[in-house]
Amino acid sequence: MSDGIKRRDFLKVLGTGGAGATVFGCSTQQVERLLPYVVPDEDITPGVATWYTSVCGECPAGCGIWVRTREGRVVKVEGNPDHPVSGGALCSRGFSSVQGLYDPDRIRTPLLKEGGEFRAITWDQAEGLLAQRLEGGSNHLFLTGRVGPSMTDLLDQFLSFVGGSRVEYEALSEAPLRNATRIAFGRNFLPTYDFEQARLIYSFGADFLETWLSPVAYQRGFARMSGVDAHGSKGRMVFLAPRLSLTGQNADEWVPLRPGCEAVVALSMAHVIAREGGDAGPYRAVLQAYDPANAETASGIPAREIEELALRFLQEAPSLAVGPGVAGHHRNATAANLAVHILNAVAGNVGRTVRLRQVDEGAAARPFAELRSAMDAMAQAGVVMILGTNPAYSVPPPAGFPAALASAGFRVAFSTAMDETARLCDLVLPDRHFLESWGDSMPRPGVFALQQPAMQPVPLFDTRQAGDVLLSLAARLGGDPGAATFYDYLRSRWAGIGALAAPGTGFDSFWRDALRKGVVELTDQEEEGPVPLRSPDTALSFDPPPLDGDGEFTLVVYPSSRFGDGKHANRPWLQELPDPVSKIAWHSWVEVNPNAARRMGLGTGDLVVVRSPHGQVEVPVWVYPGIREDTVALAMGGGHEGYGRFADGNGVNPMVLLPAEVEQPSGALVKLATRVSLDPTGRRRPIATIEGSSDQHDRPIAPAASLASLTRGSGEAGAGEEQGESGHGQLKEIQAMGGFAPVATEGKPQDFPLEGSRYGQYDPAANPRWAMAIDLDKCTGCSACVIACQSENNVPWVGEEQIIMGREISWIRMERYYETVDAGHPGPVDIRFLPMICQHCGNAPCEPVCPVYAAYHTPEGLNAQVYNRCVGTRYCANNCPYKVRVFNWFSFSEVPEPMNWGYNPDVTVRSGGVMEKCSFCVQRIRETQNRARIEGQRPVRDGEVVPACQQSCPAEAIVFGNIRDPHSRVAQVSQNGRGYRVLDALINTQPAVTYLKKVTFHEVHGGEH
Amino acid sequence: MKKPWSLAALTGVAALATLAFAQSREGGSEPPPSASATVQPIAFPHSTHAGQFQIDCQYCHFSAERSVDAGIPPVASCMGCHTVIQGRNQPEEVNKLRDYWARGESIPWVRVYKVSDHVRFPHMRHVAADAGNLECQECHGLVEEIEVIQEVAQPLKMGWCVDCHRQKEASIDCTVCHY
Repeated sequence: MSDGIKRRDFLKVLGTGGAGATVFGCSTQQVERLLPYVVPDEDITPGVATWYTSVCGECPAGCGIWVRTREGRVVKVEGNPDHPVSGGALCSRGFSSVQGLYDPDRIRTPLLKEGGEFRAITWDQAEGLLAQRLEGGSNHLFLTGRVGPSMTDLLDQFLSFVGGSRVEYEALSEAPLRNATRIAFGRNFLPTYDFEQARLIYSFGADFLETWLSPVAYQRGFARMSGVDAHGSKGRMVFLAPRLSLTGQNADEWVPLRPGCEAVVALSMAHVIAREGGDAGPYRAVLQAYDPANAETASGIPAREIEELALRFLQEAPSLAVGPGVAGHHRNATAANLAVHILNAVAGNVGRTVRLRQVDEGAAARPFAELRSAMDAMAQAGVVMILGTNPAYSVPPPAGFPAALASAGFRVAFSTAMDETARLCDLVLPDRHFLESWGDSMPRPGVFALQQPAMQPVPLFDTRQAGDVLLSLAARLGGDPGAATFYDYLRSRWAGIGALAAPGTGFDSFWRDALRKGVVELTDQEEEGPVPLRSPDTALSFDPPPLDGDGEFTLVVYPSSRFGDGKHANRPWLQELPDPVSKIAWHSWVEVNPNAARRMGLGTGDLVVVRSPHGQVEVPVWVYPGIREDTVALAMGGGHEGYGRFADGNGVNPMVLLPAEVEQPSGALVKLATRVSLDPTGRRRPIATIEGSSDQHDRPIAPAASLASLTRGSGEAGAGEEQGESGHGQLKEIQAMGGFAPVATEGKPQDFPLEGSRYGQYDPAANPRWAMAIDLDKCTGCSACVIACQSENNVPWVGEEQIIMGREISWIRMERYYETVDAGHPGPVDIRFLPMICQHCGNAPCEPVCPVYAAYHTPEGLNAQVYNRCVGTRYCANNCPYKVRVFNWFSFSEVPEPMNWGYNPDVTVRSGGVMEKCSFCVQRIRETQNRARIEGQRPVRDGEVVPACQQSCPAEAIVFGNIRDPHSRVAQVSQNGRGYRVLDALINTQPAVTYLKKVTFHEVHGGEH
Repeated sequence: MKKPWSLAALTGVAALATLAFAQSREGGSEPPPSASATVQPIAFPHSTHAGQFQIDCQYCHFSAERSVDAGIPPVASCMGCHTVIQGRNQPEEVNKLRDYWARGESIPWVRVYKVSDHVRFPHMRHVAADAGNLECQECHGLVEEIEVIQEVAQPLKMGWCVDCHRQKEASIDCTVCHY
């Protein structure tokens, strides 16, 4: 074969060690568990997946995960259904952790900088050197991101031993919320929120579906609350913020607040509720000043509307107000969070939807402020150590972090991959990825979870877990930390949890159970009642914050739902995932309101210079009706310089536009701080978007039904059916004339094969028909399914250039259509999300056009694609009305080592020239059928086959199964009155996918969409 | 340049795949070694083990009933007997085994049976009692009579698979094997 590489890739992926390794020259260090065949490993049966429980380390939410391994290699991560946070789901960042593990840019050995260049050294040299530096100096500093409770304790113990202090810095800290909770209720920790119980949610810019606190758990709660139930009841969300984030796009109403006015509006609502009898406690006097009329002047929201919002908040109980999130961290952010707390307290939500129970008292309270004082102290510090945080990227340049770091005596980075901060250090110690390490988490009160290594460390990288290094250093320096490895340390700390959780059983048995289930829940925590408000802190100002500069626009800088603060940026899956809001991949954009863009003569793709008093970036405009006319917005996470091959040079880092200022009293970094001007450059750049149009152009792709129409019981699918009739009429005419036309039928998804169709030889009684139902009232467009599908099905990424040419290869296209969004007028938000996958049509247009029968229909109703038959004519893609067939223009599967290790061995890796598309995870169907067969020829149970997208969905929007079985869940859900099949009424494709219409509170245009 | 059908597939038969370095069935740049030319690192006589001593196939190929992969015996399995059994016919070959064991090394067996990369062949679906309930010999020939294991007369081509599926009224749908 002329391109022998594929063969090599194949072997590298599959080689579980020795034999393959000898031939292809991989490191012989792959021996160990990767070579289980000298002595069999009890955990490993070749060809059968082994699953391990663990905890996702991508953000502080601490979702429990199941890690799927094959022959000792991690191939997928899924949510742990037993874990109360993840509930079996995950977000796109969690699913992408496999690419963090197999990141080809991970550091391979300890590195020492000499003469400005890094050179490889051994671990013994590295630890010896560091021990010497620690012994020779004093006032050491340890900068960390969020780490688990045991690691936190070890760090503190280590630092008290060597003489130093620890500073926690997370760029996405919710310090203002924590401080507001302290001021309001005397509790210095983050509350938890019960979205599921609420009937009305006011989000003052908290992006709880994407980045805020615990997005997977909150998304599940929100979807259960906002999805219409059997009684026709549905919770409601109002989004009060200058820009519609993904969370905002899922709101039912939008109040486009002037940036920084949350406190005024929230307090004004509290004023009205207090007037109606709400108990404002010690804030009674404060609230006097916030008459809606006064608030109208400050916020621009009409007093009448504030009054109405307040009364609804009281009446549609239980209600819940949240926010502002990181994007709203302005100079009075603590006061803004406090105002939201007051609103909740006055409305009686505290103890109902707002829970104030201890979670993580150990976490630092003043993140950026502490980093600043740590930076001042660096000149006196002997050794500065950095773990899990990247301030050289995420702190605005005026803070002078690189210069401060340079003033330290010696700089050490513990890091899995080289990043901007590690590059500034003298010694770089390659850390283990969280899928290779031990750890723990305590995401909620009474919930403890263990993080365990799911595989031996990737042998290409000579890594050690930071905890092990600290213990080893302590031993070198003559200390006795009481444990030789972090594993021992963790076990000793868990002895206490074991005694509480499983008294009477031995620790080893408790430990095994904890590892097997992945989570330990102590249920003896008492439910807490209402907590009274404390006396006001008079130093706080609730006024809209001052902004720097005199530019025309206020700049909103928000955490990216794909990259967070930027630490997930070196992952091609996430780079290529279209942003859930803008649908743009790979590069940054600045969001500009259409009116502002028109006024300035700008359109999407025009390059502008965004200029603040602190810096400037050049970035293309994306015209977005979901942002105020006086505001522009940039996402964090782009513009890396020195993070890796997939991150560097993509997009811009908005932090360069910000001052390095501390919000008081929380100590958070101020992010909503400045005005900017947009200066057109006269140049344009192509936008890497997957979006054809944000408008449905009057086609019923994602129709909706109003809540009223559901309760009226009028068949809201009526209009569609009529269209169907007429379409069929035409088909019948063509057939009557002897022409070829698809079979005209009034079939339902379970009617397969259709009577008279060319699939007639299949026996319906002997085969299931696989089908799916997707509830668009629950789908939030978060795109977790897109990454889960890529991971499961070896779907490649293609790069920005190919995306611009329209050659994306994702099997799921998360479509997003605007119906009603108008920044000029507060009111309904109607944005429709529709995960578009292969519809597995019963009357598939792609099949008859394939000259080689690569596209055909299976007896089980799957629209199959046989890769080894496909010769790449692409006729099928041209004939697919859903645009779900994608083509491998090149051999995108040739990925840098060791990314190929993450391939799913149960799915063919496609090479150049092959068409592919959603297979309904046929490998999972076959696996389940095979299992059922060898387990005594039992039938496949309903719900036993779970495709990757259904498994991933935090909103629980997807159901899959055999629709031929009338008792199956998919058959029942598909019969819902909201059910429709995309374009079926027009072109008679008879899809196997039934979507349930989104439900809106307002009457939808034209009765349908 | 690119051959669209030369798929870099991942079979589920991972342990077998580790041993697959010597053969390439598709593309043709490396001709498959003819069965008789197969020189294994240890001259393992199937005829002695499966024939003379009537050791069950699945004693060594331990996962054939529960996995897509039949399983290649760990060196430890071999040593289970050969710690004490020196072997009368070829004691020097047993010494090779003991050397591998002593070095803690896997034995780089040459792979003989391999279906194409775009084919999924789940052993358990064919072997398990509740599934195909086939004798191993139906595909692998009379292994107990063969000293040097080699592919039996039928090449592992699709027509051969489909014939058998037809005979036994198993599904001949493409996606049973190709996905």
